[in-house]
Amino acid sequence: MKSKIGVYICHCGGNISDYVDVNKVRESVKEIQGVEISIDTMFACADSSQKQIAEDIANKKLDALVVASCSPKLHYPTFSAVAERGGLNKYNYVHANIREQVSWAHSDNKEGATEKAIKVVKSAIARVKESVPLEPIEVKAQKSIAVLGAGVAGMRAAKELADLGIQVYLIEREHFVGGRISQLDFLCGADITGKELVTQLYEKIHKHPNVTLFTGAEVIEKGGSIGNFKVKVKITPRYIKDECNPEQLQKAIDVCPVEVEDDFNFNITKRKAIYRNYDSEYPHFPTIDSKNCTRCGECEKVCSSIDFTQKEEIIDLTVGSILAATGFDPYQPKENEFGWGIENVVTLPQFRRIINMCDNKLIYKGKEIKDIAYIYCVGSRQVEGDNKYCSRYCCTATLYTSILTHKKYKGIHSFHFNRGIRTYGKQEVIYDEASRLGDIFLQSYEYDPPVVTKVNGKTNVKIEDLLTGGKEIEVNADLVVLVTGMEPRNDCSIGDVLKIPKGRDRFYNEIHMKLRPVETVIDGVTIAGACQGPKNIMESMNSALSAAAKSYSIVNKGELALEPIIAKVDKDTCVWCGKCAEACPFDAITKVNANGKEIAEINASVCKGCGMCLPVCESDSIDMDGFTNTEIESMINVLAEN
Amino acid sequence: MQDNNKVKEYDALVIGAGIAGGEAALNLANVGNRVLLIDKDLTVGGKMIMLSKVFPTLDCSACITTPKVSEIARHSLITTLTSTEASDIVQKDNGTFEALITTQPRYVHIEDCTGCQLCEEACPVNVEDEYQYGLVGRKAAFIPFSIASPRAAAIDIENCTLCGACERACPTNCIDFTQTVEKFMIECKTVIVATGFQLFDPTLIPRYGYGRFKNVITSMQMERQLAPTRPFNTVLRPSDGKIPDNIAYVLCTGSRDKTVGTPICSQVCCMYSTKQAQLLMGALPMADITLYFLHIRAFGKGFNEFYAQAQSMGVEYVKGKVAKITEKEDGNLILRYEDISTGKVTETEHDMVVLSVGILPNQGITGLFKNRKLELDQFNYISQSNPLESPATTSIKGVFVAGVASAPMDIPDSILSAGAASSEAANYIRQLSVKQVEV
Ligand SMILES: Cc1cc2nc3c(=O)[nH]c(=O)nc-3n(C[C@H](O)[C@H](O)[C@H](O)COP(=O)(O)OP(=O)(O)OC[C@H]3O[C@@H](n4cnc5c(N)ncnc54)[C@H](O)[C@@H]3O)c2cc1C
Ligand code: SF4
Ligand code: SF4
Repeated sequence: MKSKIGVYICHCGGNISDYVDVNKVRESVKEIQGVEISIDTMFACADSSQKQIAEDIANKKLDALVVASCSPKLHYPTFSAVAERGGLNKYNYVHANIREQVSWAHSDNKEGATEKAIKVVKSAIARVKESVPLEPIEVKAQKSIAVLGAGVAGMRAAKELADLGIQVYLIEREHFVGGRISQLDFLCGADITGKELVTQLYEKIHKHPNVTLFTGAEVIEKGGSIGNFKVKVKITPRYIKDECNPEQLQKAIDVCPVEVEDDFNFNITKRKAIYRNYDSEYPHFPTIDSKNCTRCGECEKVCSSIDFTQKEEIIDLTVGSILAATGFDPYQPKENEFGWGIENVVTLPQFRRIINMCDNKLIYKGKEIKDIAYIYCVGSRQVEGDNKYCSRYCCTATLYTSILTHKKYKGIHSFHFNRGIRTYGKQEVIYDEASRLGDIFLQSYEYDPPVVTKVNGKTNVKIEDLLTGGKEIEVNADLVVLVTGMEPRNDCSIGDVLKIPKGRDRFYNEIHMKLRPVETVIDGVTIAGACQGPKNIMESMNSALSAAAKSYSIVNKGELALEPIIAKVDKDTCVWCGKCAEACPFDAITKVNANGKEIAEINASVCKGCGMCLPVCESDSIDMDGFTNTEIESMINVLAEN
Repeated sequence: MQDNNKVKEYDALVIGAGIAGGEAALNLANVGNRVLLIDKDLTVGGKMIMLSKVFPTLDCSACITTPKVSEIARHSLITTLTSTEASDIVQKDNGTFEALITTQPRYVHIEDCTGCQLCEEACPVNVEDEYQYGLVGRKAAFIPFSIASPRAAAIDIENCTLCGACERACPTNCIDFTQTVEKFMIECKTVIVATGFQLFDPTLIPRYGYGRFKNVITSMQMERQLAPTRPFNTVLRPSDGKIPDNIAYVLCTGSRDKTVGTPICSQVCCMYSTKQAQLLMGALPMADITLYFLHIRAFGKGFNEFYAQAQSMGVEYVKGKVAKITEKEDGNLILRYEDISTGKVTETEHDMVVLSVGILPNQGITGLFKNRKLELDQFNYISQSNPLESPATTSIKGVFVAGVASAPMDIPDSILSAGAASSEAANYIRQLSVKQVEV
C-alpha cells in the first residue's frame, strides 16, 4: 500500500479551472491518508512543471503519483515518463481525467463539475495506493518491414527503408506496380509523366538487394504484434514463366480471342484476357486475367512462356512493422448523376485517358470536342450522399487539365461549373493561368447543383449561377467531364485484416490528426498516402517518407520494450473451460498442461491487455496487471461513497 | 557555457524549432542521431505554441505542443539552443558541413533561473509584449510566456535602463549583465532548414486601417485572445474594452493579392478563421460572426465537415472582397464590399474586425550558406528540387527543408514534411558513413 503519494491538479490554463474549483479539489484531497503533497499547477504538462514534479518525487521520496489533468490519451505517456525521471516505477502513476470527462462535459454546472472532479481524483488516489510496480516486456524486433501497396507512396517508402538497411517486403495486389499514378500521363507542376515517375521508382527498388517485390499478392492474415508480426501472403499466379520471351508474348496477346473492358483505361477501350496495361509497364511481362480467360489455349500455341500449371501460393513472413499504402478509388458516378449515362458524359480520369489518346484533335466517339463543361465535386462535398469531405486534389487537377487541352488542341472552350475553387497554396497560380486563358467559371449554390440533360441531341448544362447574382445560365457542351473525387478503396479487406479503424469519411484513421498523422492505434502499423485521406502526389510522398521514418524507428534497434499491462492466469483455480481463448481477439490464449492439469496460458508478447477474457472466466481466475481487481474495486468503493 | 575553442560535432543541424523543426529533430534523435536544434527566438515551439486551439480537432494547441517541446528538451541526443542562429555554412568535399553558431546574450543563466518572475515584478520598464502580439505590455526583464521552453527570464537589452532592480530581486543571482555574444563552430553531416514563416504586415494595405483603427486587429492577436494563456481572460475590443458582439473577418488579407506581391493562397487562413469563429461562438454566445471570403479552402481531412459545422452553428459566410474599412466615432467599423451573391456593393457595420493575415516566407535563409546556393522558388520559399519524388530535397545535397519554409501549410502537413526531411536526412547521414557522396 502506497503511503507517500504526490497529487498534482492541473488548471490547463483555464480549460479546467474555468469550470472546476481547482483549489477546492486540492483542499479536499490533501488530508486523505497516504497523500504526502497536493499541489495545483497552471499547466502540468509544461516543461517547468514536469521538472518540478520529478524533483518532488526525488526530494520528498514519493512512492506514487497522481496527476489530474486532461485525457490520458494526450498525457498519460507524458506523466508516466515524469514518474520515471523522478525515480518511480511508471506503473505507480495513475492519471485522472478532469478535463474531457469533467470540466468540458459539465461546463454548465460548476459546482457539480467540482464535486465530480473531487471524486475522480479521490478514486485515482485509491487506485494508486494499490498499484504495483511492473517491468516492461523486452522482445526482439525483426529488422524487416512489410509495405502494402506498390503505388508511388509504397514504392517510395520501400526505397527509403531499403536504403536505411531494412529488409522490405513490398506486397502489391495487382500484377503490376504503379497504382493510380501510372494512369496519369501528365502531372501537375512536374515535367515528367506519371509513367515516368513510376519507372524511376521501380528502377530504384527493382534491383535493390533489400527489397523483395511480390505482385498479384495480398496479405490475408496478420498475427503477432509490434516487432514480430506474422503475416500470411497469398500470391496468385501470373501464368507467365519468369524467363519469358517478349516477342512471343506479344503474339500471344494478339491471338487471344477474349476481349473485355479495359479498366486501366476506365472502360473507354478494350483489352485481351492476356494483357499488360501499357508497353513500358512493370514488371515487364503481361499477366493472364484468370477471371476472363476461357482456357482456350490459343496463347500457349504461339508462346512458350505461358504456364497454366502455376498455382496459388501462400507464404509466411515475419516483420517488425507494417506500412499500409493501399491508395484510393476514383469515385464512380451513379446512374443519372449529373447526366452519367449520356454518351458524352465522362469522368475526369477517363478524360485524361482520352487526352492521352488524341494527338492533334480532341476526338471522342468520332466527334471533335470544342466546348467542354467540367462539373466539380462529383462524389465529394455531397449534400445528399455520404461523402461530406472535399477530395482536395481535383480543383487543381481539373484546371491543370483544362490548361493542357488549350496547349494541345485549338479552339477549346472550357466552362467550369464549380463550388468555389480550392486551389490552395501555390496551386493558386494554376487557377490564375486558367482564368487568363479565358476559361469561364460558374458557381452553383450549395443546395442547387447544376443539371445535365440531353435536349435535341445536345448535352446541356444548366446552373443558377452564384457569381452573377443567381442568373440562370445554360451551356451546350460537346463533352461533360465529371470531376470525380477520391473514395476509400472499395475492397478495403486489408484494413480489416490489420484492424485499422476508419473515420467517418471511411478513410483509415491516424492516431492523432494533428501531430501523429501516419501512426495508427495498432502499434507497429503505419499508414501512408491516400488511404488515410485524399492527397496529391507530393503530399503522398511526404506521408510515405514520414511513415517510413516511424516504421524505421520501431525496428531499427532490433529490440522493443512492450507494455506489461497483460492478463495473468491463476494456475490453481483455472479449470480450462476454454471460454477465455474464445473471447481473446488476438489469439493469445492456449491450453497447456501444468502438473497434470489442463489450464489456460497467456502469451505475454501477444496479449494486448484488452481485458476481453476477464469477464468470461467463470472461476474468476484471470487478473490484469496494472488494472487488478483490487485496484478497480478500490476505485468503485470511493465513487460509491456518499 | 560553451567551450569556444573546440569544434563540436553533430549528425544534424536543425535550424528553426517550430513544430516542423522539433518533429524533424525528434525523428532523427529517436533513431540514434545527435542533433543540434537552434532557434533565433527566446523559446522553442514556433508559432504553434502561441495558437489557441487547432482546426479541425479543436485540441488545445498549448496542450498538444508542450509534450513535444518537453520531449525535445529532455532528449539525451538533442541539444537545444535558443537566441541562436547559424551562418557561414560551408559544405566540405566529403559532403559534410561546417557552420558558425552564434548565440545572443540573454543576460540570464538559464540553468539557474527558476522562473519565479520576481525580476518581472521589480523591473520598472513597460513595453509592448511581442508574444501577445502587442495586446498587452511586458517588462524589460521578462519570461516570454508561461509555457515557454526554456521557462527562464530574459533581459530585453534594447529597452533595459540598466537600473539593476532585477539583479537585486533575483533570489538565485542568475541575472548577468556581463554575458556577451557567443560564437563557436560546429561540424555536422546534414542540415534541416525549418525556419517557418512570418505574418503579412497589414499596414501595407492602408485602406483596411490596421494601426489607425483600434478595433481592427490581426488573426494572430485574436488567437492570443482565445488562447488558454490569454491576456484578458475574455475577448475584448481594444478601443474601449467592450466585449464585441458583431465581429467581421476579412479573409485573404495579404494573400492572393498581386498588389502586395503575394499571388498565392496562404492555405491556413480560411480554416483558422473558421476555427476562431467557432471558438468565438463558444466564448461569446450572443455575438454575430461574419467571414468575408473569396473562396473557402476547406480541403484537408475533416476541413469541409468543420466548415459545415461552423455554418450550422450560425457563422455567416459572405462571398465578397472587402474593398475598404472606415471607422465611426464610436469605434465601430464600416466594411464596404461587393456581395457576390447579390451583385451589389454593400456596406455593413461591425464592432470589431479581424484581418485574416496571410503567411510569408522568412527572409535571408539563402545568406546562411556560403559555398553552395540554396535556391528559392518564385515566391521566395525554399525551392524543392524534386517535389514529386523527394519533396524535402533542396538545391544543396544534404540540406533538407521542413514545414512552412518550403510552402504555406498547416500543422499536420508540417509534421509530414518534417517526417520526409528527417527520413531523407537519416539516409544522407547513413550514405556518408558507408560511402563517399558526390556533391
Ligand atoms: C493565426 C494562425 C492560426 C493558425 N491556426 C492553425 C490551426 O488551427 N491548425 C493548424 O494546423 N495550423 C494553424 N496555423 C498554421 C501553423 O501555425 C503552421 O502550420 C505551423 O506553425 C508551421 O510550423 P513551422 O515549424 O513550419 O513554422 P514556425 O512555427 O514559424 O517555426 C519556425 C521557427 O524557426 C525559427 N527561425 C526562423 N528563422 C530562423 C533562423 N534563421 N535561425 C534560427 N531559427 C529561425 C522561428 O523563430 C520559429 O521558431 C495557423 C497559423 C496562423 C498564422
Ligand atoms: S478539390 Fe475542388 S473539386 Fe475536389 S472536392 Fe474539393 S472543392 Fe470539389
Ligand atoms: S486560405 Fe483562404 S483566406 Fe487564406 S489565402 Fe487561401 S483563400 Fe484566402
